[in-house]
Amino acid sequence: MSDERRRFEAEVLPHLDAAYRFARWLSSAPGHADDVVQDAMLRAFRGFGAFRGADPRAWLFAIVRNCHSTALAQQRRRASDPLPGVDVGMEFVAPDAGPELEALRRDDQRAIDRLLAALPEPYREVLVLRELEELDYRDIATIAGIPIGTVMSRLARARAALRQEWQRTLKETA
Amino acid sequence: MTCAEALRVQAYFDAELAPDDAASIERHLPRCPGCRTLLAELEQTRATLKNVPQVHAPAALRANIFAALDAEEVAAAQAAPAKPVTAKSVSAKPARGATIRTRPFWLGAFAGLGVSALAAALFAFVMLPFAAGPTVDGLLTAHLQSLEPQRLVTVVSSEHHTVKPWFGGHADVSPTVADFSARGFTLVGGRADPLLGQRAAVTVYRHGKHVINVFAWSNKNMVLPEATTRNGYRLLFWRSADLAYCAVSDTTWNAMEELRGLIEAQIVAEQRVEISRGLDEKE
Repeated sequence: MSDERRRFEAEVLPHLDAAYRFARWLSSAPGHADDVVQDAMLRAFRGFGAFRGADPRAWLFAIVRNCHSTALAQQRRRASDPLPGVDVGMEFVAPDAGPELEALRRDDQRAIDRLLAALPEPYREVLVLRELEELDYRDIATIAGIPIGTVMSRLARARAALRQEWQRTLKETA
Repeated sequence: MTCAEALRVQAYFDAELAPDDAASIERHLPRCPGCRTLLAELEQTRATLKNVPQVHAPAALRANIFAALDAEEVAAAQAAPAKPVTAKSVSAKPARGATIRTRPFWLGAFAGLGVSALAAALFAFVMLPFAAGPTVDGLLTAHLQSLEPQRLVTVVSSEHHTVKPWFGGHADVSPTVADFSARGFTLVGGRADPLLGQRAAVTVYRHGKHVINVFAWSNKNMVLPEATTRNGYRLLFWRSADLAYCAVSDTTWNAMEELRGLIEAQIVAEQRVEISRGLDEKE
């Protein structure tokens, strides 16, 4: 194994789960995240020698997003059909709570998951990067290719929309 | 209706403001009910989003990526000698071809020896440091399998009083088990995995979003591998009392070292209890 491979495995590969989650949020069409992440990892490996940044995760996310855009453009060229909807069964990691609490938590999880998936992509993207991946504004701006001011306004709208929908769900289930 | 400071309040909430700006928001908040409500809402939304399920990359994707990286390395190695060596190609991929071995290095080195006994002796000598390989592979495979749905724990419990006796009947060793929730390492349960020809006891902890499998097995004279990163997972080995331990996870080295410290401290504490019990009996 080359030194570069070893370094890649130590610095970039630990972010595979995060990259996969991000790709899932960009599009949950079946198999899309798998294809995008596989492509992104290979590209990241090829470009790793030239990578000088401090944060391999943000760098990997930017590559994932590029691969996602490329894949979308290809799909649009191939077929004029719109992409399948976003509601795909998720694989859950076994939660660590007792069975009753777990059932409750799963309902909440499914609900919030659906609401987040229903947000328009530009809003979902910034919200996922900020709240789930805990990236800062600057990294989000770089990854999404938008100015920081746009990150802030999209984030505000995304949060407000999600909150509103979440409260409506709570009222409906109450 | 919305205050002009709303975006700055959000930036304050996201810890994006410089100290001076943060201080000005802190002065603004007591005077502006709208911004106070906004701050509370932002906190609520964040708490709600904590419920979003954590999805992991499927094992098949991980395997495919490794296969692709392997193929990439082989292709680079094969392409390297054929290409004329120019300054550009050298600087682009430094020493990549040189470090790749398609067969073990000692095969070539020993090819001309012809003294089979000597070769065999040297073979054993050379191979000894690599004997750790199967252990690392076995542990990593066991860890990956445990991440598949329903495979993580056989006995679900955050109570060491439940997990420890379970090991007694299902594993060949009975390691120290404790819940370190207060320190951020929650005991999830246990299982027994076949490893090195025995039933290793596996204690499962959760640390934030990460699962940590702590394998324990009985070892006699085995040289434990160094801490290593393989396929994006970290493996940390140590020995305590008469058992060998290995923690496997995708969390940070710091977290793994901390858990190891907690477990070792627990072992020492339990030994102390046993010793003092022994003293009590003598009295």
